[in-house]
Amino acid sequence: MMKIIAKERLPEVLQLLAKDYNVLVPAKFEGVSRFTPYSADVELALEENVLMPPKDIFFPQTEKMYKFKAKDKSLEIEELPVEKEEQLIFGIRSCDLKSLECLDQVFLTKGYVDHFYKDKRDRTALIALSCLQPQEACFCGSMGVDPQNGVGADIQAYDLKDKIGFKAISAKGQEILEKISGLLAEEEVTIPTFGEFNLKADIEGVPEKLQGMFDHPLWADICRKCLNCGACTYVCPTCHCFDIDSEVRGEDGVKIRCWDTCMFGEYTQMAGGHNPRPTKKERVRNRFMHKLRYFPERYKMLLCTGCGRCVVKCPVNLDITAIIKKIKEAE
Amino acid sequence: MKEITLQMQELARELLQKGEVNVVLGWEKGTFWYLSPPAFVDKPEDVERLVYDDYCHHNLSKYLMDYRYQEGKVAVFLKGCDSRAFNILLEDNQLEREKYVLIGIPCPGMKDQEKAKEFGVNGDIPLAKKCQECKYPNPLVYDYFLGDKKAADEAAATKEAKAKEYSDVEQMEKMTSDEKYDFWSSQYERCIRCYACRNVCPACNCRECIFDQSRTGWIGKANNASENQFFALTRAMHVAGRCIECGECERACPMHIPIMLLNKKLIKDINELFGEYDAGVKVDGVLPLGHFDKNDPEEFM
Amino acid sequence: MSVKETSSNWEPKILVFACNWCTYAGADLAGLSRLQYPPNIRILRVPCSGRVNPQFVLRAFQRGVDGVLVAGCHPGDCHYVTGNYFTRRRFLLMQRLLEYVGLDPERFQARWISGSEGPKFQEVVTKLTEDIKALGPNRKLRDAQ
Repeated sequence: MMKIIAKERLPEVLQLLAKDYNVLVPAKFEGVSRFTPYSADVELALEENVLMPPKDIFFPQTEKMYKFKAKDKSLEIEELPVEKEEQLIFGIRSCDLKSLECLDQVFLTKGYVDHFYKDKRDRTALIALSCLQPQEACFCGSMGVDPQNGVGADIQAYDLKDKIGFKAISAKGQEILEKISGLLAEEEVTIPTFGEFNLKADIEGVPEKLQGMFDHPLWADICRKCLNCGACTYVCPTCHCFDIDSEVRGEDGVKIRCWDTCMFGEYTQMAGGHNPRPTKKERVRNRFMHKLRYFPERYKMLLCTGCGRCVVKCPVNLDITAIIKKIKEAE
Repeated sequence: MKEITLQMQELARELLQKGEVNVVLGWEKGTFWYLSPPAFVDKPEDVERLVYDDYCHHNLSKYLMDYRYQEGKVAVFLKGCDSRAFNILLEDNQLEREKYVLIGIPCPGMKDQEKAKEFGVNGDIPLAKKCQECKYPNPLVYDYFLGDKKAADEAAATKEAKAKEYSDVEQMEKMTSDEKYDFWSSQYERCIRCYACRNVCPACNCRECIFDQSRTGWIGKANNASENQFFALTRAMHVAGRCIECGECERACPMHIPIMLLNKKLIKDINELFGEYDAGVKVDGVLPLGHFDKNDPEEFM
Repeated sequence: MSVKETSSNWEPKILVFACNWCTYAGADLAGLSRLQYPPNIRILRVPCSGRVNPQFVLRAFQRGVDGVLVAGCHPGDCHYVTGNYFTRRRFLLMQRLLEYVGLDPERFQARWISGSEGPKFQEVVTKLTEDIKALGPNRKLRDAQ
């Protein structure tokens, strides 16, 4: 038995939840879909995953860290007010849940806790939504993600074509489900079978193989069409590099941290002018090495969830599945 | 186009076998049927990867900059817009003409990839907007020409005779200033500053781009409406008079920002203010903003 | 320059890029001749109006200026012979571009003011200040801080 609601009545659920939470829902605006605060006039985009991954909810592209005032020889630091509002994401997919697991590793483990990230993570509840069909660039199945059962959600919602079913997973999820249970009916349901993936990647043994491939001629070949733009890393749900900068106006300043990308030359530019990654070969190698070797070595998981965003958005179709294939085939 | 594909492969094989060039830049089939990304062929046995179809949007001239300091020659396939890009790079003293073997191919116009994705393989897919407005479908500079030159010239003549298409710019101009500002703010709010537009652009060929020098303080890494518009307007001014209308910036933009609507405004104004001019058509050292006329208009001075 | 003013005591801030050889001397002459003009302008001396980069103008608006004037020698009088001809082309385009992205066209101006045109300097900055006062503070292109 599952608690269900007709799809067209979903806004009622969101409306009710919006009383207690800042509800974020997938919505499309001018061709770009992202998680957007829910309001009655937001048009839900539930057909496919959002283009902009949920990482910016926890790790915004630009985040103010603290303010400072430098006068003569004194320096005052002012903490910024902490947001307290409880958030809820509706419609996060399995691949993006997996990406949060990756980001948790970076921002919360190995003795380092990033409180900017942790604060947002702690006050955000997650309602996962299962996928009915893979999009043409999806390959999460190859990356060990189950598109119909996300890991780490508070509630798993199931897309049942004309209905949506809800199943509480955590205690927090149970609590949320109780708030909306008045709107839900109980019904015996079967979860629709998931279609065939159009894209596949055979990742078996790739992290190990890459250990001996730092100087392989393959990188010089695959990097050639790369433009070294940051599109892939900025739409990637797991890429998490950042740079810390300050904006100073007279005596006042703000420390900000912003997304950065290993595709840019400035990323590794050193003060004396030396750049250890001078050309696109080194930069492209770093991106794929990080995803497929360094991260698995450190955290025992791949830094790719198979969401397919970079495959869709790369202006020159530098496809990670094709690169995995080339790595497999390389001698 | 099938025939041109075969001719392309044949010529590429010949050039590589004879050792005239080290590498041939063309297009190959990508992950999906509507993608034909750049291909770099350096062995005669690999030439069968090369294709020429409705989705060879990528402007290959920009890649030639990667080969500037390498030994040996490079062959490259050029459509009309790619040849204008090549000319701009020559004009900017970025390339040496002798180092490149240019293989011109006539272009019937490339199809809209977004629409292709939407309509499916059997759908009636329109030409990309930039190709509908194109005035120079044939390469303007080449060493070899593939395909039927006479038919291509005839097709090009009708396109060249057409008036320039600025209806979208004109519509924008009619809005009130607040409407315009709201429009552009909402467009550039989306910008993630991945710089795909800059990196794909043949007119953006500075050794070190201003946007890669955050220490100079011109632009920080922070993403906000003001910085993003600073980026957009600065880039528009930097490519003014050198934009060859290949539309690659707009195609490369992951956030669907109508970048060409800015570039076309500058092209329109250059034409109105300083006389008819199409960037990359001639290489004569006369660029609209690197040049002047004593009788230039002074409408607001 | 603080960008936080209340509307009640608001006075426009206008940045004038003045070329060293003509307009700056013109401004000087206006001062020596005791010609009165509004105190809203800040003069930034540049070697030539051709030195003014479009980014300077954008940056000024970002940081809270309400109007920008680029002023230099009359065509033909440039100390560097042709600098101001390039200025003319560049800023003809720039003004149209700024108008196109929604900035009020009055906020960005270019003028030729020679070293002997003290009264013209007075007249231009007075008119510009009045126009910008009528428009009110500029919020467009501004950074938030």
